[in-house]
Amino acid sequence: MLASRLPGLEAALTGLNDLEAQALAARLAKAGDRWPGARPTQEPPSLSYDPPSPPAAYHLLAADGSQIHPDRHAGAPFYLINIGSLQVNVGSGTAPRIHSRPVLFHDPADLYDEYGGLISNELINGRRDAAELGELARLAKGTAGQPTLALLDNGLILWLVLQVRDQPRRPVDEVLQRYMGHLTALRRHGAAVAGVIDRPRHANVVGLAHLGELPVESINDANHKASPYLGLTDRALFNRRLAAGQRSAVFVHGSPVNRDFEAAGHQVHFYYLKTAEDSILRVEIPVWVASDANLLDLTQAAILADAAATNGFPYSLARAHELAVIRQAERQQVEAMLAAALLRHGLPARPSTKSTAKRWLTGRRRHRV
Amino acid sequence: MTTSASTLIGRVTRCSLRGFVGALRLPEPNVPIFGAFCTAEAQQGTSHVVGLIYDITIQDDEFARQIATTEGVSEEQIADQQQNRQIPIEVSALAVGYRRGNRYQQALPPQPPLSLAPIYSLPSAEVVAFTQDLAFLPLVLSAGNLPVDELLAAALQQAALARPQAERRPFLLEAGRVCSRLMADDLGRLDTLLQGLRPVESGA
Repeated sequence: MLASRLPGLEAALTGLNDLEAQALAARLAKAGDRWPGARPTQEPPSLSYDPPSPPAAYHLLAADGSQIHPDRHAGAPFYLINIGSLQVNVGSGTAPRIHSRPVLFHDPADLYDEYGGLISNELINGRRDAAELGELARLAKGTAGQPTLALLDNGLILWLVLQVRDQPRRPVDEVLQRYMGHLTALRRHGAAVAGVIDRPRHANVVGLAHLGELPVESINDANHKASPYLGLTDRALFNRRLAAGQRSAVFVHGSPVNRDFEAAGHQVHFYYLKTAEDSILRVEIPVWVASDANLLDLTQAAILADAAATNGFPYSLARAHELAVIRQAERQQVEAMLAAALLRHGLPARPSTKSTAKRWLTGRRRHRV
Repeated sequence: MTTSASTLIGRVTRCSLRGFVGALRLPEPNVPIFGAFCTAEAQQGTSHVVGLIYDITIQDDEFARQIATTEGVSEEQIADQQQNRQIPIEVSALAVGYRRGNRYQQALPPQPPLSLAPIYSLPSAEVVAFTQDLAFLPLVLSAGNLPVDELLAAALQQAALARPQAERRPFLLEAGRVCSRLMADDLGRLDTLLQGLRPVESGA
């Protein structure tokens, strides 16, 4: 039973506090850069932090995106990114300002790479992630100088960069640059920014706890894989350890991509937050939020308040998702409008014979008698 | 809702000869009220069914239900749900007559409106024209499973308000007389209805 190993894991986490800083540093050095576990910060790894009180008034910004990927068989190739966002003036009692911003990409320069290949779905998703952060930066400009938390509905590490092996590097770098630029803008506007992951499946703190138990000379890949805590997650650990409203200590993200973020001044940190019974969120924040007590407290207090009525997941992110989502009917409408526009310019947009044949076959097959 | 111009209330989603149901997405101040007269096109525009709004329902929404059942909901979240989120409102109307050309008929329409036919509020002048004749009252009284007495009182009050001040009281008195004839065998109900027909001074 996995659960029976939780007390041992908890003891291993507490044990980290007793380990001399140098001893832990030696273990981390031996584990090396490629080891994916969490790195500790100034905060003792096993401490839990009570919820701070939120400011009487602050701004909560949330953005989420959705996309229509290009269909090779459709009449007119295009892709679409739609960003939904919510700007809540917490404490005002007024309705939030909502936005839904669709952008249609149909220019060949947007659709095809330098070798003439159709843009990959991963790259489109990366551009969507950057557009979400861009929307938050745009909104934060308007609340500069006032306490503001900007929320994203995923981790802060740009997922696209993790998949870079399969992607042409130049467009990926462009997206990464844009992403970093938006983070820099958010920092300049004085906003805290946090990426929220619901039901996280990471085991980075579990890895760190295990590392603390290993003698330095036994630290190697084989022993990482032979961890007695294999299969246990950070979520299970902190669901047991934290009381509702409490957060874990802040850790440094162990992803190799974090080096790019560190170089740009945005090294990604994270903590776990218990927003409700059995609801653990992973909250990813840049280093400049982690090291500023006011901004760090604002992330914890504002996320808790926002998630109080929605079973532990932030209300504003649920709404941003609702504003972003593209329904099937809307997708068909976009396709029809594009085809009509092409036709006006004398370019009939015909779906491929394959997609036409598929449409014939997906209809009702039985004839009524 | 008696207005000088017709307002688009919503579109028909289902209907029968006895009435129609429409969905609308209007902010709260513009939602039509109980007993208001409305009209929907039928027979390819050659006739217009006149309906009395007898029910307004807000459809179930899982997100709103989740928030409604928990503590810790903020003022901003409530304002967001009520003002920003467009929750479909369903309006049900009882058919009480129809217009063909310039003439109103106080009878069930020959055909119901079709799906997605626009539903408009009936402008004040048309409400006055339709209620010159009170032959539609039996259609209301014979409707089953509806709060017909309250509906009738609300509709007649609306019709009175559509008239100039001086004509309101005589109209309600005449309506009371017609109701007395129609409901002579149920004095208890009649009494309640007549209470509901007492003139009101301000707009509904």
